[in-house]
Amino acid sequence: MLMFISGFFYIIGETVKGLYRNRWMCITSTGVVVVTLFMLGIFMLVNINLGHITDTVKEQVEIVVYIDDDAEQESLDELRQKLLSHSDIDTVTYVSSEEHMARLHRQLGGMLEGYDTELENPLLASYEIKTVVPESVVALAGEFETYPAVANVFYGHGYVESLFAVTGVAQMVGLALMAGLSITAVFLISHTIKLTVMMRKREISIMKYVGATNWFIRWPFVLEGLLMGFAGAVLSLVGLYYLYQYSVEWVAANNLAFLNLLPVQAVLIELATYLVPLGTALGVLGSVFSMGRFLRV
Amino acid sequence: MVEAKYLSMKYEKGGRYALENLNFHIDRGEFVFFVGSSGAGKSTLLKLIIREIKPTDGVLKIFGRNVSRLPRHRLPYLRRNIGMVFQDFRLMEERSAFDNVAFAMVVTGASRREIRKRVPHVLSLVGLQNKAKARVCDLSGGELQRVGLARAIANRPAMIIADEPTGNLDPGTTLDIMNLLRSINLRGTTVLVATHNREIVDRFKKRVLYLENGKLVGDEQKGIYAHVH
Repeated sequence: MLMFISGFFYIIGETVKGLYRNRWMCITSTGVVVVTLFMLGIFMLVNINLGHITDTVKEQVEIVVYIDDDAEQESLDELRQKLLSHSDIDTVTYVSSEEHMARLHRQLGGMLEGYDTELENPLLASYEIKTVVPESVVALAGEFETYPAVANVFYGHGYVESLFAVTGVAQMVGLALMAGLSITAVFLISHTIKLTVMMRKREISIMKYVGATNWFIRWPFVLEGLLMGFAGAVLSLVGLYYLYQYSVEWVAANNLAFLNLLPVQAVLIELATYLVPLGTALGVLGSVFSMGRFLRV
Repeated sequence: MVEAKYLSMKYEKGGRYALENLNFHIDRGEFVFFVGSSGAGKSTLLKLIIREIKPTDGVLKIFGRNVSRLPRHRLPYLRRNIGMVFQDFRLMEERSAFDNVAFAMVVTGASRREIRKRVPHVLSLVGLQNKAKARVCDLSGGELQRVGLARAIANRPAMIIADEPTGNLDPGTTLDIMNLLRSINLRGTTVLVATHNREIVDRFKKRVLYLENGKLVGDEQKGIYAHVH
């Protein structure tokens, strides 16, 4: 127990001393972690918000199934039954021809004055459908077109297909960039930490000669790596917070409402759950792996 | 304590032998010089003893154990029983004399109380009782080697290995360090010194193992350096 306590205090003490003695190298390593994770964070912010904006647009995609005026009751019941029981459909709203006319009145204002819209209403009643998954609208529209009670199906043909293609490509590119930047971060950070360890290889070899076990030598380095990685991640998050806060305010000030950015707090929490473990793990693993060679004395 | 049987070492496959067919035995409490010119194999032999490298052929037993078969995780425990002294001192420069000596004890898991008691004692044994707090980079060559010696004996090892311990010191300091090694030996610790310092070998008249081109060409009790050639 005494051995353990003595070793524990030693390791904590050595970590603090090590950070102080090699402060410039540690500041450099932490700086590299900050810059790399900051860059990665910017990409993540763009990607998260791009995903949010496309999700918002996709949520507005719906199918409107217009009902044939002359359809028989049996066909109408069949259509209604199918709509209500379909597993791909989230919500179904019935809009009568009168409601359509009322909407038209609201949209056109006084332009319909003089028409007796109650006697002559050419508008068809419809079902407005929200699907569970926006991507299934094309298939569903095709399915309902075949029903006898259906006069016409509208789902923004052409526009929806393009929207899905563009958002799909944008997200793939975003993910690829993020993956690329994550790998770059791993290399950059682990190599910088390797440099920190290399500068202390003499110290490590002395420890080996006096009979220190590998883990006894490693622990202070591991803790140093952990602290550098953690501090780097937290500092990069502080930078990202101010940058994102500024961006959100700028979008609001310039009335760019279509850029529907996520709230600062929610995004920062999401970033933190990714960047803090990544930075910390890179700090630790960078230390452990770069020491391997020097421990074989 | 140290037993070599047909001990050979090659650094590269197909290359020349750094050590070839060495046979010798060193008992507990002996003081032995390994002498020979540069490249004779002295440092290789010391590296084998602390298992920094493994022999290519033959057997080397330290404290009765074949070091080739010693698993890597047991190496620290072997080295805690061997105090190392180097020509270039190998001290942690940014730390004090006290910290350098204490470090050797910390790795063995010694308690803080034990360390606080033992370190001043060993520093006084090497004449550095007043330099405990001095940073290593502020000490003279002779003082640095004294710190190295204090570190080597801190854990009361059974054996001290010194690789050219006086190589960087002036004659007066050389004698001081050698006298310290002798007094350590008189307390029962085995001392092995690799050197090509003719004067100290001749002056101390201890057992001498002569190495030449990796071969053991002589083994004399109370030997003198001239017998190398």
